[in-house]
Amino acid sequence: MATRRKQAASQLPKGFSALERWLDDWVLPDSTARLDKRMRSSLEELRAFYDGMLPHAEAALAYLAQRQLGELDPAEERLLKLMLSLAEVGPAIEWYGTGNYPDAFDPKRFPLIVQLPDTAPQGAHA
Amino acid sequence: MNEKVSLTPANLTLRHPELGTGPIPTDSYWQPEFYQRELDAIFRRSWLCVGRVEQAAKPGDFFQKELLTFNMSVLVARGKDRQLRAFYNVCQHRGNNVELRKSGHCVGFTCPFHGWTYGLDGKLVGVPDQRAFFDLDKSKLGLKQLALDVWEGFVFVNLEPEPHQTLAEFLGQQGRDLVGYPFERGTAVFEYEGTINCNWKCMVDSFCETYHVPVLHRHSVKDTLAGPDNPHGRLIDIRLKGPHRTQSVWGNMAYQPNPVQGLAFRHAPGPSVTSGAVDEGTVLPKGLNETRAPNWSIDVTVFFPNWIIVMGSGMYFTHQMWPLAANKVVWQMRGYLRPATNAAQRFGQENSMVELRDAVLEDCNTLERIQASLDQGLLKEFIYHDHELALRHQYHVVQQWVRDYEQGKAGKALKPRAKKN
Repeated sequence: MATRRKQAASQLPKGFSALERWLDDWVLPDSTARLDKRMRSSLEELRAFYDGMLPHAEAALAYLAQRQLGELDPAEERLLKLMLSLAEVGPAIEWYGTGNYPDAFDPKRFPLIVQLPDTAPQGAHA
Repeated sequence: MNEKVSLTPANLTLRHPELGTGPIPTDSYWQPEFYQRELDAIFRRSWLCVGRVEQAAKPGDFFQKELLTFNMSVLVARGKDRQLRAFYNVCQHRGNNVELRKSGHCVGFTCPFHGWTYGLDGKLVGVPDQRAFFDLDKSKLGLKQLALDVWEGFVFVNLEPEPHQTLAEFLGQQGRDLVGYPFERGTAVFEYEGTINCNWKCMVDSFCETYHVPVLHRHSVKDTLAGPDNPHGRLIDIRLKGPHRTQSVWGNMAYQPNPVQGLAFRHAPGPSVTSGAVDEGTVLPKGLNETRAPNWSIDVTVFFPNWIIVMGSGMYFTHQMWPLAANKVVWQMRGYLRPATNAAQRFGQENSMVELRDAVLEDCNTLERIQASLDQGLLKEFIYHDHELALRHQYHVVQQWVRDYEQGKAGKALKPRAKKN
């Protein structure tokens, strides 16, 4: 038990251990996987994640604002990916409060065909 | 009406007496026969956007664009001479595509069927076992080229062998008025694509009026694009420019973002799309928010027939419609964000993308229900609000292009083609 906890603690940057409980479910490979997770989650699951993340979001962004894309260590990548999942879940709670739009067009019919990379550098302004 | 701010009064449509104020017949939004006429009169004769110059920045770079309406692949390549050229992606031997990759870098194209090779300039350079052909003249068997031109970094092609207008003539005042928008700064790109069961013009219309915003988008962007001062989501202005049109959309400057949304606004790599804020060093072109209204959020420009740019001060996105039938269209939405440097900005980008997608998906069921009503013959006329002027304009432009083309074919002179390139 103690070993497991120690392992988990190193999974996120220092100060964010309260977010460990979301790692298994909400660290996802890309934007498409995050939408898919949102669509498969119940309203209770979405709300629990949103409520669990939001109090730490400001601090997480202050931390991430100091870190450059392309130079993140694995723990920082996981923190960013948790925040990207929060970006996906945000409107589900803040706009709809139901997890999905009331008159829902299936988002699978409008997939991403070009994705932004999650953690890779994006290059300078042209 | 008791709006407190000075919104545009109900007179947008009356500025254009030639468009009338009466109901608009719906036939051209569902009839398969009219759709075929549109393909010949409009889509085969308009300049169509296929990408951006950054997609083929260096000599040897290329990208493919499917013109889905025609089931046709166009290859855009930058030659050793740095010239951009567009080719039909068709081997002159037996018709296979010479390039299957969506984009890449190469010294030339090799057909994966029998290995005929073409240079970046389209010239046929190699034919395996050439001696076994009969009177083969390689100089006449280059890739077939299409007319290509560039506006503000966007690459356009035209299917007419001799385009009846240059790109500059086609884009006209609308093109000139947007010169200088920082399109080149939106280098972080995402794209969605889907097939919607509706007429391509209905899909265009979906982004061209905000009368529906307070109702259909009541859960999402209602409080951003409408508000106590503008409860019905009236526009600031609409400007018709030839076959193209731009609307300036009102923004609620008193809008208080939701918690996650607010964090995303603060950490976006540019001003949030509806904030109206201009970042340092950016001078917006005269054609954007042309009336310089203080409560401006975005401009929506429709470049006839099938390409829309939605421009905020810090990001922009495009919609492109590729009709497949009178009641079916492929819709591509491409976002161009400022690149993120730090990891918090990446969060800002993601929320911008997600909220845009959620908001536009709210339109789609409605579009398919409209089309069902049209296909069933249950709605003979559209009744347009003053601020649905863009829809009325599109109807008239489409009718005009079809009429002009068909009369020209019947013997009447088309407008003479102006000077070549």
